[in-house]
Amino acid sequence: MNMQRLSQRIWDIAGGVSVRTKILGIVLGMVILLGLGVTIQARYALTATMNAQLEEQSISASRDLAARSTDPILLNDLLGLHDLLKETTANNPNIRYAFIVDNRGQIIAHTFEGGFPLDLISLNTAQAGEHHHTALIQTDEGLVWDTAVPILDGKVGTARIGLSDASVRAALSTLTAQLILTIVLVSITGVLVAVLLTWILTRPIISLANATQAVAKGDFSPRVQRWANDEIGDLAEAFNSMTEELARTDGLRKEREVLRRQLLEKVITTQEDERRRIARELHDSTSQNLTSLIVGLRVMETNCAQCASISKATDLRDVASKTLDEVHDLSMRLRPRVLDDLGLSAALERLVSEWQARYKIPVDIAIQLSERLPGDLETAIYRIIQETLTNIARHAQAKSASILVERHGDMVRAIVEDDGIGFDTNANQGERHLGLLGMRERAELLNGTVAIESSPEHGTSVFIEIPVQNEKLEASL
Amino acid sequence: MKKVFLLILMIMTVSCSSLPEKEVVGSVDLDNLQPLPTPDGHSAVPLRIAVAAVISPEGTVQSYSPLLLYLEEKLNRPVELIQRKTYLEVNDLIEHGEVDVAFVCTSAYVEGHDTFGMELLAAPQVDGKTVYNSVLIAPSSSTAKNMSDMRGKVFAFTDPISLSGRVYPTYLVHELGYTPEEFFARTFFTYSHDEAIRAVASGVADGAAVDSLVYEFAIARDPSLVDKIRVIHRSPDFGIPPVVVSPFTRPQIKADLQSLLLKMSNDPNAIDALASIGVESFVMIDDNAYNSVRELLGVIPIPDIP
Repeated sequence: MNMQRLSQRIWDIAGGVSVRTKILGIVLGMVILLGLGVTIQARYALTATMNAQLEEQSISASRDLAARSTDPILLNDLLGLHDLLKETTANNPNIRYAFIVDNRGQIIAHTFEGGFPLDLISLNTAQAGEHHHTALIQTDEGLVWDTAVPILDGKVGTARIGLSDASVRAALSTLTAQLILTIVLVSITGVLVAVLLTWILTRPIISLANATQAVAKGDFSPRVQRWANDEIGDLAEAFNSMTEELARTDGLRKEREVLRRQLLEKVITTQEDERRRIARELHDSTSQNLTSLIVGLRVMETNCAQCASISKATDLRDVASKTLDEVHDLSMRLRPRVLDDLGLSAALERLVSEWQARYKIPVDIAIQLSERLPGDLETAIYRIIQETLTNIARHAQAKSASILVERHGDMVRAIVEDDGIGFDTNANQGERHLGLLGMRERAELLNGTVAIESSPEHGTSVFIEIPVQNEKLEASL
Repeated sequence: MKKVFLLILMIMTVSCSSLPEKEVVGSVDLDNLQPLPTPDGHSAVPLRIAVAAVISPEGTVQSYSPLLLYLEEKLNRPVELIQRKTYLEVNDLIEHGEVDVAFVCTSAYVEGHDTFGMELLAAPQVDGKTVYNSVLIAPSSSTAKNMSDMRGKVFAFTDPISLSGRVYPTYLVHELGYTPEEFFARTFFTYSHDEAIRAVASGVADGAAVDSLVYEFAIARDPSLVDKIRVIHRSPDFGIPPVVVSPFTRPQIKADLQSLLLKMSNDPNAIDALASIGVESFVMIDDNAYNSVRELLGVIPIPDIP
């Protein structure tokens, strides 16, 4: 459990840093680990070798001293003995001290000046007949390899020589210092190399990431350079061909979109024009004819009071009159003339009053427009609200509805709300869905939006937002 | 990752188990210097025996140890062996009473007897005789047949006042009408007879004159010497190097020692002690035995300063 947490923690740290830091960490870690390992191993090997050498030296120096001191001791040549000790220490800088103990335990010559560390005597002895006896002694100056060698089988005395391990320690410090210096230099080189390496490695990755972000924002222009002939190079190439393909299909899509819009616009314009023409035709020609017919029938009624066919004429006039109303209504619904003549406010008020009259649902209408809007904008808002009202009448089972149209700067906003049963906006419901789609298309043609919020039991809200100055934007498409 | 851990673990183990393999036996402060204690006085005053450097100091210790132990035991007092580099130094010790008894060289005895009254105690007897010779030796490869063939060669003397090692060979050169400095290419002193034998055996010297007793003893101990050196001349008999006492030695000690030495050959415990110095027994000897030496020293005097 702990292990898992630990590894998780290590992963958190390792995963949290950039590739650059990771590579740097790997390089530094390896250099330092290797360096430390080598340092420890080298120190160990050097210490072992040098200590063995020191012990060896201690033995050979002591044996040499024992052999050479025999005659001076036997001949009581103390000056010669002293010179011998001095010479011995002078010849080997590792020798810290040398002294001779005679067979009665008296020190007859030594290399200390001004006294003798008496504790030293008892720390090492060699039995008669022993080749030598080496002991390791801890002193205030470090470790000392002390070798005692019996002189003339111990009959004469004992020669003692102590070799300080100062040289070992000095060599160790030098070695360690050199190794640490090497580690530092290698680390610096390693860091430089790692920086170069990460730069080489991450440069294509960073440029790929930047390019990907640009592509995500819809900019297909960036191409990444293929820096190296490796996997990342392959990736860069794949990325480039992908962006090219994306750019191509995006161009195609945009072209089609423009075409589609143009077509849609054309369809809508043609439809509106056609409706306007038919409405005018109905109003001007058909209504006139019907009116003439009605007038003719009324004249016929008056002139022929006793005619048996008077009731027939009255019926015909009623039919004609009803047809006239229907033609008016049809004309009105196809393309209210008031929209062209008096504008959106009047057209909407007329639409709402007729709709209320027909469906008996009260509508609260508020229109805040100080001036006329561009024709296509007025048509779009009118048609969208018309469609919404149709939907309310058909599906909503609403008790009331409200319409708000207002202008904020360059934005016209319209909200249509009802308190009906609502519907699931995500569900595709055939005809109604098509109707909603049509509303959106109309708004989008003018760079506007239609948003529908609806939920069962909470009614439906339709938000329409269309910018007023849309000529320029349209041109850009 | 596991391998790295193992490696680290291995290095740690190796480095931790490293030095020092030897255990530290104790600690001492090398700067805490104190005066050396003055040696305790001996519980018993030792009998001081000087042995002149007929053989090397080391050889002397080995040869005389059994005798010293025997004397220690018999006299029931410690015996101290004292050696000096030259015969004259030993004579000085005897003259000033710094030793009680001494084994000296023949010429040293004559010199000591005639200058400050060195007294004879006993003489060793070897092969039933109390005489010895000076033998002239050369490497076995040498073609020399007598002293005259040694001209222009390197010659090893033993001690400046040694009868066999310097006085006699100098006498031989003198007979040829030269001084050693004129006759030999180079001379040097070895200060003991076994060293002189070694100098000839190793070819360092082309010739040397040594004590016949030491020569025979050396041949007996190391038979391989026979192949390396040969005797080209043997001197007439001289009085054997004696055991002497200082004029300061108390008569009681002198009497005790004398009787002890004279009885040694009858004591089975003394066999080793006698054998070790190559002596059969100790016998009384008269000063007249050294008169021939005195004659020789009349011709070749002992130098005042060695």
